[in-house]
Amino acid sequence: MDRRIATITLVSVIPAVFETSEVTASEVWLRRVELRRPESYLVEAASGMGKSSLCSFIYGARSDYHGTISLDGRDIRSYSATELAELRRRHLAIVPQDLRLFAALTALENVMVKNRLTDRYDEATIRRMFERLGIATRIDTPVGRMSLGQQQRVAVIRALCQPFDFIMLDEPVSHLDAASNAAVAELIGETARANDASVIITSIGNRLALDTDKTIRL
Amino acid sequence: MKLVAKILRQNISIAQFAAYTLASLVGLAIIMTAVKFYCDLTTEPAADDDTVIGADYIVISRRVPILAAFSNSNAPAFSEADIAELKAQPWVRGVGAFTNANFDIYGSVSLGGRGLSTALFFESIPDRYIDITPEGWSFDPADPTVPVIISKDYLALYNFGFAASRGLPQLSEEMISQVPLAITLRGNGRSDSLPGRIVGFSSRLNTVAVPETFMTWANSRYGDGRTSDPSRLIVEVTDPADPAIHKYLDSHDIEAAGDRGSGRTGRIASVITTVASAVGAVIACLALIIVSLSIFLLVRKNRRAISDLIFLGYTAREVSAYYKRLIITINVCVFAAATAIMLAASWLWHDTLAAIGLGGGSPLSAIVIGAGLTAVITLVNTITIARLTAKH
Repeated sequence: MDRRIATITLVSVIPAVFETSEVTASEVWLRRVELRRPESYLVEAASGMGKSSLCSFIYGARSDYHGTISLDGRDIRSYSATELAELRRRHLAIVPQDLRLFAALTALENVMVKNRLTDRYDEATIRRMFERLGIATRIDTPVGRMSLGQQQRVAVIRALCQPFDFIMLDEPVSHLDAASNAAVAELIGETARANDASVIITSIGNRLALDTDKTIRL
Repeated sequence: MKLVAKILRQNISIAQFAAYTLASLVGLAIIMTAVKFYCDLTTEPAADDDTVIGADYIVISRRVPILAAFSNSNAPAFSEADIAELKAQPWVRGVGAFTNANFDIYGSVSLGGRGLSTALFFESIPDRYIDITPEGWSFDPADPTVPVIISKDYLALYNFGFAASRGLPQLSEEMISQVPLAITLRGNGRSDSLPGRIVGFSSRLNTVAVPETFMTWANSRYGDGRTSDPSRLIVEVTDPADPAIHKYLDSHDIEAAGDRGSGRTGRIASVITTVASAVGAVIACLALIIVSLSIFLLVRKNRRAISDLIFLGYTAREVSAYYKRLIITINVCVFAAATAIMLAASWLWHDTLAAIGLGGGSPLSAIVIGAGLTAVITLVNTITIARLTAKH
């Protein structure tokens, strides 16, 4: 598990609830797709085409699909619960669309819940990330009382608090203005480069201001 | 771990866990106290031999044949072979023979100037089979005073049967002990009168007992020289409720009499312990159901938080560790409190039991049983937690 993951391969994958006829125009569903590190990808799609599902499938959080997703040739379905936990600590980072933050915890605590698992950064570094994303004043506010845009930035910082080979960002800036978007894009791009990692962004509209190598239509 | 605890602490119902704590405390305390009570009742304090339970004795005799009254033969006796066979039984700890007097005995008392005289009988058994060792329980031919132990039953018969119906005064043990007896021994061409005194009352011996030293001396002096086999034996048994005893006695045409009360006390103690432990076990089971439901509800309510933690890269083991620690802490506290209650309770009944010569049982059995139950309950709890969290 210590070896870094170089390729994510999707073969004939389709969400279990989809009909074959619905996905004829897709470049992902029912095709063979290889995501190679450190290339970055923008997955574009209309609403309801299964962006969030794709992220969850690759992350190993859901398995209600047909076909095979493998990490360097190993089927993600064959990972044990312990191996999945290890994968999520060291290889795959994610900002899910629903963010999955703990509402009762403060912004900093939410990040620390992840960081104490990986011991990636010290608190000062994390505080600097909050400053860069313009939410330093809200660092001790319970996440439940923050705006959606602020919560998105907390979730991004949390996702960065681990080593990763691929980072998936599911609509990460849907509630951000241009300036915040740029700050988030810069922080993600910088961290991904430092990790020599791939960035996979999904978008239906307001997209992250980050240059990507490839654009895939879902 | 504090952050994870903060997340998982949400939705914990204090009322449910308080109910569990209380119920398991009551259940465990009852079980442990019952076990301690049983240990106390069945323990002989080292210094005192007069226990109600523990050492058990039965007095046996041959069944008197129907025609015995019309024949000249003596009461059927136990031969040496009979005694040897009895001693070989696994439930026998020891056998003592009743020695009869081979001479005539008359006892007289003077009460308020009126003399009462009656024919008497004496028997003796080895001292270790007598439940009391009263002061003056010895005989010296140079200063011959005859100490006598009579059955408590005789006094009870007089006080509650005879005296009550005749309007006579009731007598206490102390009062009777003060009454001087004149004992006349006649046989072998001799007739002597010796002073005597009732020195004690036995609940085990259904006879008029004298010290063996006196019996040996008197039999050689006044007896007719024949040595007869004993007609009654006192048997110390491991457990008077043992069915093997009654089977053996029946098959050998032997009757048991005498000190059966102590065996009954033992059985009562064991019934009390069983009933109390059963009640405790039911309460402990209910407590276990309460906590299992509480854990189930808690995990259901925190399902989202648990799955979010696992989504972040936590393992199910790390997530469940918080709940396991919670349960283990509660159970250890419950065990400690139940131990304290058990010790306090045994301290409360200590004086009462000491007054009847009991108590001082080790609390170790109760603690070991309590710890064992706590371990089992904790194991069931942690398995429940592990199974529920693994589902995410």
